[in-house]
Order: sequence, then structure tokens, then C-alpha cells
Amino acid sequence: MSNEFNIKNIAKLASINLSEEEQDSLSNDLSIILEHVNALSDLKLNSQQQEIFIHPLEKELELQEDEVVESLTHDEAISNAPESKDGKFVVPPSME
Amino acid sequence: MDASNLSIREINSLFTKKELKPSELYSKVFENAANSEAALHAHLTLFEEENIKKATESDKRFSNGESTSLLDGIPIAIKDNINIKNYKTTCSSKMLSNYTSPYDATVIEKLKEQNTLFTGKTNLDEFAMGSSTENSAFGLTKNPWNTDYVPGGSSGGSAASVGARSSIAALGSDTGGSIRQPASFCGLVGFKPTYGTVSRFGLVAFASSLDQIGPITKTVDDSRIIFSSISGEDSRDATSVINNQLDIPSDNTATIGVIKELMEDGISDEAKNEVNKVVQILKSKGYKVKEISIPVIKLSISIYYLIAPAECSANLARFDGVRYGLRVDGNTSYEMMENTRAEGFGAEVKRRILLGTYALSAGYYDEYYGKALLARKEMIDEFAKTFKDVDYLISPTTPTQAFKSGEKTSNPLEMYMSDLCTIPANLAGLPAISIPTGLSKDELPLGVQVMSKPLSDNSLLDFSEIIENEVQFDGQPKGWL
Repeated sequence: MSNEFNIKNIAKLASINLSEEEQDSLSNDLSIILEHVNALSDLKLNSQQQEIFIHPLEKELELQEDEVVESLTHDEAISNAPESKDGKFVVPPSME
Repeated sequence: MDASNLSIREINSLFTKKELKPSELYSKVFENAANSEAALHAHLTLFEEENIKKATESDKRFSNGESTSLLDGIPIAIKDNINIKNYKTTCSSKMLSNYTSPYDATVIEKLKEQNTLFTGKTNLDEFAMGSSTENSAFGLTKNPWNTDYVPGGSSGGSAASVGARSSIAALGSDTGGSIRQPASFCGLVGFKPTYGTVSRFGLVAFASSLDQIGPITKTVDDSRIIFSSISGEDSRDATSVINNQLDIPSDNTATIGVIKELMEDGISDEAKNEVNKVVQILKSKGYKVKEISIPVIKLSISIYYLIAPAECSANLARFDGVRYGLRVDGNTSYEMMENTRAEGFGAEVKRRILLGTYALSAGYYDEYYGKALLARKEMIDEFAKTFKDVDYLISPTTPTQAFKSGEKTSNPLEMYMSDLCTIPANLAGLPAISIPTGLSKDELPLGVQVMSKPLSDNSLLDFSEIIENEVQFDGQPKGWL
């Protein structure tokens, strides 16, 4: 496995603004951790199954009926918003 | 006898006989909290005032002989990543420091139906990411046995609360050992049920395929009572399962496997000795014990630290400064999100989000996340094969006793290694329990872990109770009552 990564690029993908200092320390930490997880590349797997499963007990995930159920009220749903107006979330512009 | 030292069944018996009132016990646990909180900081919030009325309602039910629940009037602490309606749920993060939950988690609804009394919300590693409760944005929690040491994590506040008797039991969540490891460090029972048996609805998600809510208690029976009250399929959690329990023997017709890979290098002699002590007892009772090898267990940390961060990076994408939580201004929405997440998340959470983002990013997915999923499947298959030969698997819960505060904070990988024994059960969805068995030479608790096949939780609890009764660990931290 390769451990080449660009910390600025990963931080951009993760939408986290990192200081220069954080970039250095996190780069260092991630290198150490990735070196450890590289042990996986030596693993000879018996399992031929390539299918990606989601549930550890392999429960089949079923779609629910499309029906209205009791849920949060509009006011409850918006009650923790940092900024709202007329029952809607307010955000800064998406384009300058 | 101090009532806060008693088990749930013993307390219920005193309530029923009218020898103790729920309101008296409720006052007692808050007295204990007043004695210990300044030194331990187990709780982020305490609910005393709000719930006195509920305690007197419990008094009335017992006085009129109308109580029908073992948990009626029992003071229980809740980890602060589980939502209780109209109370703050902070996840020990600056990101959610002002978040008030508009709804109850399913486990909270169920405990309310049983008339349980909530004592407060307990401290944790931010978003349950950590093994020492040192990653909380709101200060450290200390080990009630010795305040120089960590209580474990991430449910360290829940364990410290039960240890100091400022609650009778507590709920925690366990993604890689976050119930069992702090329970072991604090001399308590910690039980992670089979994945899916307890609804995760209302638990703030960290790694959804691994997270499970469970109890931290003084006795195995207390864990059994709480598990039976909070389990059950829930349509609001698509991964929850019907709790159809398998019956496997718990008496001496059962076969026990000792996991070779968890009795080797990296595990302290003290931790191994506890396993050997329990094995000797079981052999003397006529149980068949054999050594079992599951080589893929050695890769647990590698598998876990790809899968858990990958899921965490997806789950924590919701903290964007728009709908709830912290917002730090920016000229555009994107700047606002980047600034909010920079300010709101602590170092460990950022580390895991970045690791997960990398493992899932284009070009690396197959190499990292895909490979980890296949290795996880291999582990599930290996466990399934093993459980054809043995009924229970035994190992240390933790490689060592509790470590000192600050000892591992500068080395993330060393901290991760402390979850070596507990992670496999999360990866395979197995029920697993830590039982306190003795003290180290530093007078700190040690425990053993027992695992069994999926959906054999009740049998696992029965078998664990046999170990508990034989070992007779009656240690308790001093100075808090």
C-alpha cells in the first residue's frame, strides 16, 4: 500500500480548515497509523467473497413502506439551528 | 449497608418491602456525587432538581404496591452521546456544546416506560473516540480507584459514576471497547450486546456498523436487567434485529476457548494471570477448556482503524454549521463549514475524520477500506467456525491495568493498542462482557472478557454470573461514600 498523501487535499475533502501546525502534526500521525494498517496488505484471505456487506450479522436490509409516521415537528427540527428565518435554515451565500 | 452499594434486585426488594424509598436512594446518589464530582468529573450535567418529583412518584407507586418494574426508581446515568428529550447532548464536543435534543433515544423511551430515574449525562471522549476520556472538550474524568489514572474510555464518565456510586448503573456505547474497557479499569461489569439487539436510534453515530449501546453495572445481574429492558427490534434503526435469543449451555457441559493471540506479546502478565485464574476455576468445576487460535485477530487494530474512521468521516459530515451545533462564520457556505469544523472538532476527531476520508478517497478505496471489509468478513467467518468447537471465548479485557492520565496522549497508535482485546467483538458483532476479577499490584482493577456467538447474550450473561460467583471479586473504590 502506498502512504503518499496530500494533507491539504484530504482536509479539503473533509471540509476542515487546518492550521499549518495541525497539518504537520496530523500528517505525522496519519503516516504512523497508515504504516501500521499496511499489515493488511500481507493478509492472505481465505474468503473469496468480494461482495461488500453492511451488517455484521448479515441482516438483509429491507426498504420500509413509504408511509407517514410520527416524527419531529417543523419547530423541533429547526430548534437547534444556528440561524433561521421564517422556519428555514439561513446560510451564507454559496457563491461569492 | 449503604443502599448505593446494592444491586438493582436488592434495591427493588427494599423498595417493595418499604424499607427504602426511591427518593431516599435518589438523594443518596447525589450525596455521593457531591463527594466525588470535584475530584472525578464523571458527569457533564446532573439532573437532581428536575427529577425529585419523579422520585416521589416512584415512592407512591411502591407505597401503594403498584410498581411493576425492577428499574422503577433506580438512578441511572446516561452517556452524553445518547439523546434525552429537552436535555443537552454534547458528545463532549465543542461542536454540540449548545445542542438540546428534541427527542428521546429508543433506549431512553424504554427506560422511561420502566420509570427509571436519570441522574445526569456522563463525560466521554469526544464523539466516543478514545480510550481514556482525555479527549473530552469539557475536561478529564479520573479513575475512582486512583485519581492519577484514567477511567478508560470512551464511556469513562459512566464507569466513574457507577464506581463512585453516584449512580446505580449507567448506559454507555461501545464501538471498539468503550463499555468494556472502562468497566474493566473501574472494577465493574461492562456488557456490549450482540450488534442490532439494542436500537441505536438516538445514539449519536460514530461508526454505525460497530456502535452498540449497553450497560455498565456493579453486577452481571444488573446488566441482564438493563439489557432485557432496552433491547428489541426498532423500525427507526434499520440495522436492529429481532432479539431471538439462542440457548447455549452455561453449566459445565459448556466448552471454553482461550484465545491464543490475546495471551501473547503485548498483554501484561497481570492481565494473563486473571484469565489463567478464571480458567483454573472453570476446570475445577468440570468445564472443558482449550486453547483456540484465530490468527486474523492480530489484524484487528488495522481493520478497525480503517473501518471506524471511514464510517466516522461519513457520519460526522452532518456537522456543517447549518442545521444544528456550532457555526463559525465565513464569506461563503463552504468557508463557514470549513471554519466550523476546524473550530468545533478536537484533535482526535479530526485525526479520525481525515484518516477515514483518505481511506475512502478515489484511488485508495480498494487498497484500504475494501481490503479492511474483506478482512472483517474473514474474522466473522473465523469466529463462526470457532463457535462450532467452543461455546465461550475468554481473554483479558485490556492488555494492562488502567494507565496514568497523560501517559498515552502523545502517541495515538499506543492508545489504539489498548483496544486490542475488545475490538474483535465489534468487528464480528458478537456479544461480549467484561467481568472484574482482581486487583493489580498497584491496587487497580483487572477484568476478563467473555464472548459468545451472536444472539446468545442471555446465555453469556448466565455463564458470566457463574464466573462472578466463583471469583467473588468484592473490591470497591474507597473514599466516595
